[in-house]
Order: sequence, then C-alpha cells, then structure tokens
Amino acid sequence: MDCKTYKSVLKLDKGTACTAWNYCGQRLAAGTVDGTLAVFDSTDHASSSFRCSSRVKVHKAGILKVVWVPPEYGDAVACIFYDGGFSIWEEAGEDSHSVQWKLCEFFNRGSSKVLDIQFGVSPTSLKMVSTYSDGYIQVYELSNPLELKNWQLQAEFQNVIDSISTFRKASCLSASISWNPMRGGQELSFIMGFNSDTPQLNSSKVWEFDGAHQRWLPVAELALPEERGDRVYSAAWAPNIGRPYELIAVATERGIAIWHIGLNPDLDGRLPMERVALLSGHEGEVWQMEWDMSGMTLATTGSDGVVRFWQSNSNGVWQGQATFVHTS
Amino acid sequence: MPETAPAGGEVVPMSSGHGQPLAPRLSICWSRGNSLRVSLFSLASFEDEAGGEVVEVKLCDGGDGEISNAQWRTIAYDSVSPFAMLQNRRNSMSSFSNINPSPYHLECWEYMMDYSKDINVLLGNKKSSVDSLIEDPDIFLKKTEEPTCLKAAWELMEMFYVNKLSQAWLPERIVDWLADYDRLFAALHGTVHMKVMNFQNVHNDIEVYEDDLRYWDVIESALAVGWLEIAVKMLRRHGSYQLDQLSNRETENGLVEAVALLISKMPRMRSELEPGRLGECYKAKPDFIKAWDKWRGQITKLDSCAFWIQCHHGQTREGLKKLLQILLGNTNSLLAATTNWLELCVSHLIYIRPFTVGLESMYNLAQNCIQLKPMSSPHKLMNIIIGILGENTEVVLAECSKEFGPWMVAHAIELLTVGSNEAESLLHEERYNLGEISLEELHRLAYAQVLSSHALTWQIAPVYLSSCMKHGMGLLEILLYKQPVQLKELLLKNLEICRLYDLDDCSSNIMKMAGVYHWKHGRKGSGIYWLQQARDEFRLNKIAQQLFASVGKSISDESFKQWEGLIGLLDSESNAAGGFEFLHKYRDFKRSLQQIGDGKNDIAAQKAIDSLMLLMRNTSTPQRFWLPLLNDSLKLLNWQHRPLLSVSNTNLLLNKLQELSSARLHPGFVKPDLPAEALNSVRLALATNLGRAILEE
Repeated sequence: MDCKTYKSVLKLDKGTACTAWNYCGQRLAAGTVDGTLAVFDSTDHASSSFRCSSRVKVHKAGILKVVWVPPEYGDAVACIFYDGGFSIWEEAGEDSHSVQWKLCEFFNRGSSKVLDIQFGVSPTSLKMVSTYSDGYIQVYELSNPLELKNWQLQAEFQNVIDSISTFRKASCLSASISWNPMRGGQELSFIMGFNSDTPQLNSSKVWEFDGAHQRWLPVAELALPEERGDRVYSAAWAPNIGRPYELIAVATERGIAIWHIGLNPDLDGRLPMERVALLSGHEGEVWQMEWDMSGMTLATTGSDGVVRFWQSNSNGVWQGQATFVHTS
Repeated sequence: MPETAPAGGEVVPMSSGHGQPLAPRLSICWSRGNSLRVSLFSLASFEDEAGGEVVEVKLCDGGDGEISNAQWRTIAYDSVSPFAMLQNRRNSMSSFSNINPSPYHLECWEYMMDYSKDINVLLGNKKSSVDSLIEDPDIFLKKTEEPTCLKAAWELMEMFYVNKLSQAWLPERIVDWLADYDRLFAALHGTVHMKVMNFQNVHNDIEVYEDDLRYWDVIESALAVGWLEIAVKMLRRHGSYQLDQLSNRETENGLVEAVALLISKMPRMRSELEPGRLGECYKAKPDFIKAWDKWRGQITKLDSCAFWIQCHHGQTREGLKKLLQILLGNTNSLLAATTNWLELCVSHLIYIRPFTVGLESMYNLAQNCIQLKPMSSPHKLMNIIIGILGENTEVVLAECSKEFGPWMVAHAIELLTVGSNEAESLLHEERYNLGEISLEELHRLAYAQVLSSHALTWQIAPVYLSSCMKHGMGLLEILLYKQPVQLKELLLKNLEICRLYDLDDCSSNIMKMAGVYHWKHGRKGSGIYWLQQARDEFRLNKIAQQLFASVGKSISDESFKQWEGLIGLLDSESNAAGGFEFLHKYRDFKRSLQQIGDGKNDIAAQKAIDSLMLLMRNTSTPQRFWLPLLNDSLKLLNWQHRPLLSVSNTNLLLNKLQELSSARLHPGFVKPDLPAEALNSVRLALATNLGRAILEE
C-alpha cells in the first residue's frame, strides 16, 4: 500500500540539513549547513500553518542534528555541529518582551566528535547521554532544573558488556541512542549502538541506571551471538502503554530487528529478550526509526529516500504496512 | 556545497559513488496520532533556491474518499454518545449479571439495537430511490442523493448481527437493502438500478412502449429484484391502457392487467409493508405458505390459459410470459434479468427460496450465484456480505478496516460480537503478541490514534481510550503530554481530562511543563502559579534561591515592584526553604522603607527599623544580604529627629558588621554588588547612632 495522503506543512530555508519537532508538534527547529538555527512556529493550534519565528547563527560550523530538550526543562535544543562540538540553546527572557534564543552551554571534547545526544527524564532530574567518535558514552545530569547551563558529568564508559575492556583506538562513524520513553517510577534506561570499526562496541546494549550504586549497567545485548559485531545504524525504543514487555527496533545491515525485552531481569541481572522479526525492505542503510505514540507502528527511513511503515498483525507477525516516496 | 558531512557525522558515505547525497535526504517525526511529518532536504546544491520542505503523511486510514474529512469528523463527534452510552449500559449490566444473568439478556439485544440504530442515523438519512409514492407518471426511480457504502455496510451488519428479532424475515430485509443500495454497485458492474435509470432517461422518446424490447427488459429486471412497484407502474404504461386502444386490445389489456394484479398481490413474508408498497404481507410462515401456494397456482393458471392465443401483439405476449417465468422462479429467467450475483441471489431469495434462513444456506446460495455470474473484481460490499454469510469474522473485520478505516472497525466490533461465542472469543481474547490486549482493544486504540491526529477531534479520543481496559490510560497520558501547554484554554481542557480519569501524575507533570514555560518566557507569576499547582517544591526552591540572589543586589524600586508579587505568590505556608520567610520579611522591610517618604514620618521609620531588626536577628537571613540591608537603611540610621536604634540594637548591628569583616577573609565570601564606600558609610552611621542613643538613654 502506498501512502498517498500528504500535504505540505512548511518550506525549509535553503541549506537546511536537519530538523526536529518539539513535544507537541507545534515548533520545528531546523539547522543549516552554515550554522543557523531556524525555529518555525504554528500560527494557530488548530491549523497546521507555520512561520519562522527566529533565526540565530549558533555556530561557525554547520548543524548536523538538532534535539529538543524535554518540555519540563523549557524550550531548548541541543545542536550537534559538523566540527564535533555541540551546544544547548534556550528560548527565554526576563519578561515577555525580551524572550530570545540564548546559548546555555557549549560542549567540546577535543579530538573526539560528538555523534548523538539524547535526553532522558526521571521524576527528579534531566539526564543527557552523548556519544563520541572514540566510542565513549557520557552521561550528564542537570543540577538546577531551571538552568540549562550547569551539567555534571555523571558517568563515562564504553558500549561494552564487559566493563574491563576499553578500546582506545575506536573510530565510530555514527551512534544511536534511544531512551526508554516512559516517564515515572522505573529506573532510567536507554539503548545504545555504534557504527564503528570496533565490533565489540557496535551491538546495541540496554543500559540501566543502578540507583543504589549510582552507576550504569548493561542489562541486555540486542544481537544474536553471530551478529554482535554488526554495525548499528539506528535504534529506537518504543513507548510502552501497557505491554508486558518492551519493544525495541535495531537497524543493522541485515535489516530491522524487532526485539521483545522482558521487564524483569533474570538471576544474573540480564533482561530476557527475543528477536521477533527481522524486516527487510529498505535498500541501503536505515538512518532513522521512529515509533508512533502507541508503539504500534514503526516508521523508518534511510539512504533509499523511502519512508516505510511497519506493524505487527494480530498474530504477531511484523510486516510492511505502507511506504511513502516523495515525488516533487 | 560549502560543507560536506565529515566522517564523524551521522552520515555514512554511500559505497556506490554515483552522485548519492552525502547527507540524509529525509528526516521523520511522528506528530500526534497517525500522522508523520517528513522533512525533505534538498542539499544537492546549496545554490539551489529551494531549501526543501516538510510534508505531513497520513497512514492510509481506509476509505476511498467517499466521505470527506469534514464529514468524518461529524460522524466521529456524533458517534461518541451512542458509543459511550453502550459502554455504560454494558458495564452496569455486567455488574448485574453476576447475580442473575438471564433476565438481562433480552435487554442486551435491545440496547445493541439502540446503539446500531443511533449510529445508522448519523450515517445519513435513508432515502430509498425505489419509492412507490411517486406521483409523476414519468418517473419510475427518484433521483435521490447517492447513498454511501459506509451506511450500506453498517445496515448489512445490523441486519445480520443485531436485528435477531426479524431473522425469519431476513430474505425480505435483504431485498429491501438491495433496493436501497443497488445503485452503489453501478461503478463496477451494471445494475438493475442503472437499467431503470437509463430507461427513464429515454422513455419519452419511445412512442409505443410495448414495441420496444428495452421496456420489457427493464420490467423483467425490476421484477426480478423485487421492485414490484416499478414493474407494475411500468406495466400500466402499456399501450393497451390508452382509451382509444382499449376496445381493440381488450384481451391484451386484460392479460397485462392480470399480470400486474398478480404482481401486486404477491405474498411477502415480512413484519410489515410500508403504505404504498405492493404485495401482501404475512408475518407467519404457515399463513405465508398457504398464500404463496395459492398465488403460485394463479400464476400457473394464467400461464396456461387460452387467452394468450387471442393476444395478437407478439412482444406483449412474449414479455408477459417472461414476467410469469420470473414470478414462477425460473432460474434461467432470473439469471437473464439480473446483472450481478448479488441481484441474482436476491431474485432467488424472492422467487425460489423465500424461506432461506441461516447463514450457511445463504452462503451456499451466494456461492452458486457467484459461479453463475462471476466477476473479476468484486465490490467491497460484496466482500463484506460474503464474509458475513461465511461467518468469517476476521474477513468482515479486515474488509471493514481496509475499506472504511478505523472508525468503522472500532464501532462495528460491537455488532460482530452480539450473540456469537466464536466472534466473542476471537475479539475479546487477550493476545500476548498484541501486548496482552484483545483485538477489540487494539482497534479502539487505533481509532483513538486517528482521532488524536487532528486538533478538532483529539478531545473525544479519551472516551474510546477509557474503554480500553489495559492500554487506554497509557496512551491517554501520552496524548495529553503531547498537547501544547502554552495556551490556557487548552491547558485547562487537558487538566480537566486528567481530573476526569484520575491521572494525577500526568496532571502535575503538565502543570510543571506549563510552569517552566511561563517562567522561562518572562511570565514569572504564571510560572510560579503553575509550579505551585504542580507542587513542584524542587523548582520552587530554585526560584526562591534565584530571588535571593537578585535581592543581594540592592534593588531599585522598579524591580522591587516586579518581584514583590512573586514573593506574594511563593506562599509562606508551602514554604520548604527558610528562604521564603526571609523574602517575606524583606518585602515588609522594603515596603515600610518606601512609606517613610520625605523623611519626616517617625512612625513609619520606627516600623522600618523594627523590620530591619527582625531581618538582622533572623538566622535564615543569608550573611551576604547583611550589608545591602544596612546600606538600604542608611536613611534610618541617620534619622534626624531622634536615633531610631537603641544602644543594644546598635551594638548588635555593629557586631554583625564585625562578623562580615572577618568573613571577607573566607574564600567562599560573596562580595555584594555595592559601592566601595558602603561599608564605611554604614559603620559611620551606626557609630553616630550609637552616640546619640547613649545620650538619649
């Protein structure tokens, strides 16, 4: 089935390289190759027309990726730059007339470039996971919920199950982080996979925060034993509105794997898991995967320029549901 | 291209090197519900004027555009109350049925019927085009508004699943249904309706009806599918009825009228016959059989009577004989007179098997008819009929979903489960693969998602989500989190929904989001208000600390006014940090300072000095504010009329100054933002005051 019902929402500035919608889909942040951040706002809640409310030059290098900060922490984005650094910008003002986009914090880790950033919300704090081209993961915590400039480095580790090994000379092309999107009670966790020349780093691992010992632990590795070295292009954790298991999609060169992860760990602390599908359809790499709000439909896209929609039928068999190819 | 994606980027260079883009050309993001926003980048050439665009893609949600989006929204709104009513009645019944299930069974049928009828009404008015009350002799079929397949499908399901009371009259109900909806099949295949319409369009050009083959052909077809009124009306346009012809064609006219009369007297097994409809109505089978046999006897008698020889008009004789064959249920005649299997099937129900009951025998009949009139691409309604007759709930569901989308499925599931254990277990069984929900819940969730994707319909999604026992509230929370918090009406609506469904955590998170939004966007009062509503002590404390910090800088009257309101808002009762207490005292002090005015009001000045002392004695007053406070009070310390501070109070303040001086040596000391001479001015003023106080005392 082809997905034909579509309409144009807005025109992007030339040189736009990345976009991100905020939590309610009323604002779009777009980054350009010359380092400008443009923000588009919906003119009216009920309509879907947008106009540009702000254009700020945020950096000398181009913007590779924009990520919104969760709304409990304001209207803010993290911009990842082509030169390997990233910064956090926020829309704020002392009074309603002086509201503008301001730089909160700039991060630069020297020779290693940041590949991806994602924010995770716990009832008491905001955490930020950043991954770097040398295969390291950093977890930051925001110390003051009203100030996006004070970040404390909480942990730094590599994406390996066995915490003793470190890989000093890893070279990573891309990384993919996806937080468990559910709020409330449970411990924070996220999934992380690399596209690198170091097989041990690649496979997607579920990292969970061990509150008692204040450390991050790998609790599951989402790869069959013979596929552990496969480069991971994308990973996405589905919202769980009540399933007795978590649902995670991981894209490698073999296709898109759908995993069921048990909610309770077994005796050695690992989560039970099962690969329930391996979907193929995209030609080339899958760059992005997004679950809808119920976790019932997975949208994917990649180097073939096609958007594919995947759903499970009533017997639990995952299949392509629709495709969308833009024809201008 | 000024920039290329570096190796460290997210972008992986393509192995095939023929001009593939280096950056992702697409980026996707789900909006609310089932709409996906796709950013299309055109990075191929930076000089290119176009910068790409964002499009919104909707996962095809069924329907072929028969019903416009606006109409769907109306249907969505109107179906909320029947749906909610049904759930309520069902819930209250299930609480009763634990005690005594049987008496409520009939009630169950009744409220299902109410539900089905309510929904049916909102799908549009029934305007049958095969209407007997047509006064205009030139019109056989009224040109009415095109009925919708959606309504046709709903009525089918109502007929087969819900309306159990009239199961014995099912064949006649199918006849009626086809009369209402036959025209819907015209697009794919010919229909009797189309035949009649075509004839109606040209009949004025025909001089002698009975000479025209089309005339007889149309009557046959209309009769075959049971449109008796049309058949009779057309028969009476026969030339022999004309006054000038009557004497010459007496026998011929007699035969025409005899056939017309037999048609009008046809026994029909149904509960009632609307006024103007032809045929004779029998409710009970024995009566019907008696009448049917008698009627059939009359037809046979007429068929074999001698008058036919005296009928000299060949076409009339042939035509009438064919009509009799149809009435006698001659399969070949029926086959020739109908245009598709469904019409053929209906003609069999009327003339050959009027007692067909039970889905199995109907299914067999339908299969026979399909073999006789096969079609390459069956109409969607036909697929549903086959699914229903074949008792294949899954097929019916799949067809409903494919052809009519989530609204249909979510609402029709209610009908499918009535009185069928098999459908019940299929639709209500919880499946692990679906996350331990039933198909029924899955389809309700899917429909709620569709509702969520539009700003005008998301508010009704909670009604459906609340009927989803397992996943409904989870999805509702996510839906609520995805509503913008900056608009007050929307926020209040959101919170109201939270209250209705006891989603307290969700509610406080939303208020937190609103609070932070307003605080950051310069509406500090609203910010604090919503954070208080959310009971977000953590953020409120941080705000108090922030206010603290700004107090440290000796504030101008202008900025004082601005945050005086904020301190009022930071209600001292919900005070978690000592900071609030200090802020309140500081506000009182500032206010009394302002009341002093020109420096002559002794009472106000004394009040201000009392406030100052309260502040300076209070342990919660941070040390870094001591000097700014004293500096603000210089006017009081140098009061002209009399010294305002007693000796002991002055000593206390001097001690504090001393403490400050030694604190300056500590590394963590925060230097107040004051002129360099402030300390000396204060010290001098205190010393002067001390001297005057000693003299006075």
